[in-house]
Amino acid sequence: MSALIAIRGLRKAYVMGDETVHALAGVDLDFQKGEFVAILGPSGSGKSTLMHILGFMDTPTEGSIVFDGQEVAKLDPDLRAWYRSNRVGFVFQSFNLLPRLTVLENVALPLLYREHSDPAANAAAATVALERVGMSHRLDHRPSQLSGGERQRVAIARAIVGSPSIIFADEPTGNLDVKNVDRILDLLGSLIKEGITVVLVTHDLSVAEKAHRVISMRSGLVQEDRTR
Amino acid sequence: MKLFDRLRPAVVNGLRELQANKVRSLLSMSGIILGVASLVAMVTVVQGMVGNFRQFVDAMGGIEKITVTREQLPKEQEHLAELSEGITMRDVERIRKTVPLVENISPEARVGYERLIIDGHETSTYVTGVTADYLPVAKRWVDPGFGRFISGLDVLNMNDVIVLGSAVVPELFGPNEDPVGKIVKIRGRRFTVIGVLNNIEGTGMQIRSANSRSSGGAWRWRNSGAFIPVSTAQAKFLGNDRLSGLGLRIGEAEQLRNAVEQTERTMLAGHKGLRDFAISTNEQTLEDFRKTEAAFKLSLGGVAGISLFVGGIGIMNVMLASINERIREIGVRKAVGARGSDLFLQFLAEAAVISVVGGVIGLAVSMGIVALMNYILTQALPTGAVATLDWVIMSQGLAFSVVVGLVAGVYPALRAAKLDPIEALRHE
Ligand SMILES: Nc1ncnc2c1ncn2[C@@H]1O[C@H](COP(=O)(O)OP(=O)(O)OP(=O)(O)O)[C@@H](O)[C@H]1O
Ligand SMILES: [Mg+2]
Repeated sequence: MSALIAIRGLRKAYVMGDETVHALAGVDLDFQKGEFVAILGPSGSGKSTLMHILGFMDTPTEGSIVFDGQEVAKLDPDLRAWYRSNRVGFVFQSFNLLPRLTVLENVALPLLYREHSDPAANAAAATVALERVGMSHRLDHRPSQLSGGERQRVAIARAIVGSPSIIFADEPTGNLDVKNVDRILDLLGSLIKEGITVVLVTHDLSVAEKAHRVISMRSGLVQEDRTR
Repeated sequence: MKLFDRLRPAVVNGLRELQANKVRSLLSMSGIILGVASLVAMVTVVQGMVGNFRQFVDAMGGIEKITVTREQLPKEQEHLAELSEGITMRDVERIRKTVPLVENISPEARVGYERLIIDGHETSTYVTGVTADYLPVAKRWVDPGFGRFISGLDVLNMNDVIVLGSAVVPELFGPNEDPVGKIVKIRGRRFTVIGVLNNIEGTGMQIRSANSRSSGGAWRWRNSGAFIPVSTAQAKFLGNDRLSGLGLRIGEAEQLRNAVEQTERTMLAGHKGLRDFAISTNEQTLEDFRKTEAAFKLSLGGVAGISLFVGGIGIMNVMLASINERIREIGVRKAVGARGSDLFLQFLAEAAVISVVGGVIGLAVSMGIVALMNYILTQALPTGAVATLDWVIMSQGLAFSVVVGLVAGVYPALRAAKLDPIEALRHE
């Protein structure tokens, strides 16, 4: 079975004056379809850098990424944008919802940038996604009117609205209390039943325990890769 | 089309931003508003003035008219004053013989501002001695039913006949009274009214109440005045054979320069080289006006240009500030799949929306300015309403503001488009 994502020799270096920071120092990883993966590691170990590159928001300095059979390590910005709106979803620690837009509009936003974008169809898809996260009763609210847990559920709805094959969540529970953490983790975990791969970054061992596979990173390298 | 599909949400978003920041948007629009308003109002008013002036020149006898007037001798000829005979009927004969370009010559002998008396009523007006040629030269006529003008025979016989300007009639006669055939006294002499000149009125040249001397202004003289045979004026009032001036009409306006030159040579030859006359044409007035018009356009255009420029800077400023505030928004949009071009369009559309709304407000303001200018100008000039807004000027003004908005929006929009999504998301 070929991997959804196959990473080989991935490096990312930041040059700042005389100093070079190797945020990723040669990472080899495979992600399968429908996996629930947690990435653990101390601060500065390169977790976010890896997520940004895999999420098509950044490009590596070196290495290869095969996504769905396509080499995607060095795409031009417009193609990366296409992947972002069509193939991957992203969930942030700080939600990153647009305050001026309603819940429904926030969730429909990725569809707005698709090729054949139709407002009515977008709204319908967004409503379905919000139903999926249990937020369909708040369509016309602004993000500021929601609790942190609710905001993150809306953000997850936005990540799944375009039926991505993989979702990257960078410390999605970092700003939430215990009760909401469980709820968000259950929600993310349930996505794999639909064949969506979920990759979650966390500092928290108890959060990582919910995943089926835990990858530990240190200094830009994979230190441990454990499947339970 | 695809671009339109991308444009629609961008425009909707722009309107939303505008609504969310009403005061700031209005402030950023102020330059555009001022620019469009002054541009449209300026072009409208100048166009109105040009049109009005054309009519004025026409009423003055048009561009085909040459006026010869008596003039003091220049300094170097002052000692020859004794030899000066002034302008006389002999000049008329000479010009008639030597300047065939001239079709009509109207000798004019000004008698003065005289009292016209008819039992009980009296009024004062300018009395001028003329010939039958006054009509074609001044582009005037006598309407049917209003008698006739002075004839060659009247001039030959030095008849005591008079033709009245239409504004004079109501001052001397009742509303249903026919002035023709009545006797009017000037300095004790009895003149028979033989006709009334046509009344000048119409577009842009309303003559207000002919009875009130104060109103009517500069146009009133066109309908006032009284005319007697030039020979009568010279023999019975002036006591000499001098004329106050000549009005010449030429066939084609293109021949004006030649006709002026030939007339000048003929006059100089007849006057033994004495420059006791001056020649003027409406072309010079027209030329003066063109210069005024150009100066007007230049200065007002400058004002409009500067305010549009400032307006553009205002929009650019607000767009840059707005982008700075919304770096995170830009990051989020990019993170969920927006391309650089999507954000470029979004912010360009925002700038365009600001400028269109500003332009529309500017048009509304320009209507107010034009109305105010019309009010002021009708008080100052007797020529009536001077300017009307037309949709060509208005759409040009709007187009201009949109162009300014788009140009001003390009740089901020480019900045938004180029932002790196990760950097933008990290922004606090
Ligand atoms: N834009 C950048 N310029 C320079 N250095 C950077 C940049 N982004 C990340 N780094 C460096 O790369 C390394 C990895 O950063 P990264 O954000 O991936 O860490 P992380 O594992 O996500 O840490 P945390 O758990 O604190 O979020 C760090 O040393 C960081 O300072
Ligand atoms: Mg991180």
